[in-house]
Amino acid sequence: MALSVAWGGWVAGAVLVVSAVAALRAHRLRRLALAAAALLPVALSSLLINALLPAGGGGVAGALAALLRLLGATLPPALLFATTEAGDLLSELEARGLGRRAVFVIGAALAAVPRTQARATEVIDAQRARGLDTEGSWRRRLRGVLPLVAPLVIGSLAEVEERALALEVRAFGAPGRRTVLRRLPDSRWQRAARRALAGLLVAGLLTRLAVAVVAR
Amino acid sequence: MIVLERASYRYPGTPAWVLDSVSLKVGAGEVVGVRGANESGKTTLCLVASGLAPAVVGGELRGHVLVDGRPTVELRPHELALRCGVLFDNPAVQITGLHRTVAGEVAFGPCNIGLPVAEVHERAGAALAMLGIGHLASRDPQHLSGGEAQLVAMAGLLALRPAYLALDEPTSRLDPERAALVAEAIVRMAAGGTGVLLTEHDEALLARLCTRVVEL
Repeated sequence: MALSVAWGGWVAGAVLVVSAVAALRAHRLRRLALAAAALLPVALSSLLINALLPAGGGGVAGALAALLRLLGATLPPALLFATTEAGDLLSELEARGLGRRAVFVIGAALAAVPRTQARATEVIDAQRARGLDTEGSWRRRLRGVLPLVAPLVIGSLAEVEERALALEVRAFGAPGRRTVLRRLPDSRWQRAARRALAGLLVAGLLTRLAVAVVAR
Repeated sequence: MIVLERASYRYPGTPAWVLDSVSLKVGAGEVVGVRGANESGKTTLCLVASGLAPAVVGGELRGHVLVDGRPTVELRPHELALRCGVLFDNPAVQITGLHRTVAGEVAFGPCNIGLPVAEVHERAGAALAMLGIGHLASRDPQHLSGGEAQLVAMAGLLALRPAYLALDEPTSRLDPERAALVAEAIVRMAAGGTGVLLTEHDEALLARLCTRVVEL
C-alpha cells in the first residue's frame, strides 16, 4: 500500500515537473499556476480529512500524495487548453479521423462556457432592468439567483433545437469526410515525443500493475 | 421550383395546424414575398418550404411539398440543405461557435460536403463579397453586432449555393444601411437564378424586391 502510494506520488510529481517545464517554454506558467490555485479548496479539505479525521487515515503524506495525483490529472489538460486554440484542436482531431459529430460535441462543450456566461449576463441585465436586486448582502444575492436560473436553463434548452436546425441547414449531416481547411505543422520531434509519451503511459500502467501485484 | 400544394402542417405534440392548406410556387429567379401577422406561420412556412419540417423538426405534413419535382419528405436533411437554405430570424443561433474567423464560419457548409479546399475558399470569399462583408472575414464571429451576424449567417447559406432560399425576416435586426445590402444581395441572387421565399413585415421592401406577394 505504502509502495503503491509512493509510486503514484512520484509519477504525478514527474507529470507536474514536465507540465511546468512545458508551460514555462510556452510562456503559460501563470495560467498553469492559476489552474493549480483553483484546486486549493480541494487540497485543504483533503489535508483536513487525511490528517485530522480518523476515517481519512492517510496522514499528511497521504494528503500530499492525493494532491499530487489531483494536480497530475488536472494540470496537463489545463496546459493543453492554455496552449492550444480550440479550433486547432478540433480541426486536428477531425483530420486524424474523429467523426464530425464527435468533433462537434467537443467543440460545443468548449464553447458552452463562454456562451452560457454571455447568456447569463443578458438574463441578469434583463432582470435588473425589471428591478431584481442582484447586489448587496449574500442573502440578497441568493434571492436574486433563483429568478435567473429558469430563463437561463429554459433559454439554453430552447436554443438547442434552433442550433440543431441551423446545423442541418449547413449540410452538417452530409455523408463522407469533411474538408479540413488547415493542418498544423507537425515536426519529426513532435511525433517522436507523442510516441514516447504513449510508451511512457503504457509503461506506467504496467509498472503500476506490477507494483500492486508485488505489494499483495 | 418549390411547390406547396394544399400543404398543412402541425408541430409534434400540438393539435393545432399552424399552416392550413397553403398553396404556393417559387420559381427559379423569382422572389416571392410572404406577409402576415405575428404567429401567422411565416417561420413555419419557411421550414416547410425548405423541407426541414417535418424532416428534422418532426410533426405532421399533409398535402404536397416539392423541390424541383421531388417531395421534400423523400429527401435527407443534407440533400434538402443543398436545394433550399433557410435563414432564421435569430442569426445568433446560426453561428456555430466552432470557428475563430468569419471566413471559417462561412466555409463550414462547403466543408461539410467535402469540397476541395480551393473551392471552399472560393465559395466563402464569393459569399462574403456578395453581401459586402469581405472586411469581416478575419473577425471573430462571436464578437459581431446583430446585423453583422445576420449577414454572416446568410453568407454561410450562400456558400452552399442552394437553388432556393427561404429568408425569415432577414432584415428585422439590421440598420437601414445593412438592410439595403441584404436587399441588393437578394436582387443579385434572384438575377443569378436563385428562387427566394421572403417573409417580411416591411411592406416597402416586399414591394421593391418581390415578383409577387402572398398573404398568410
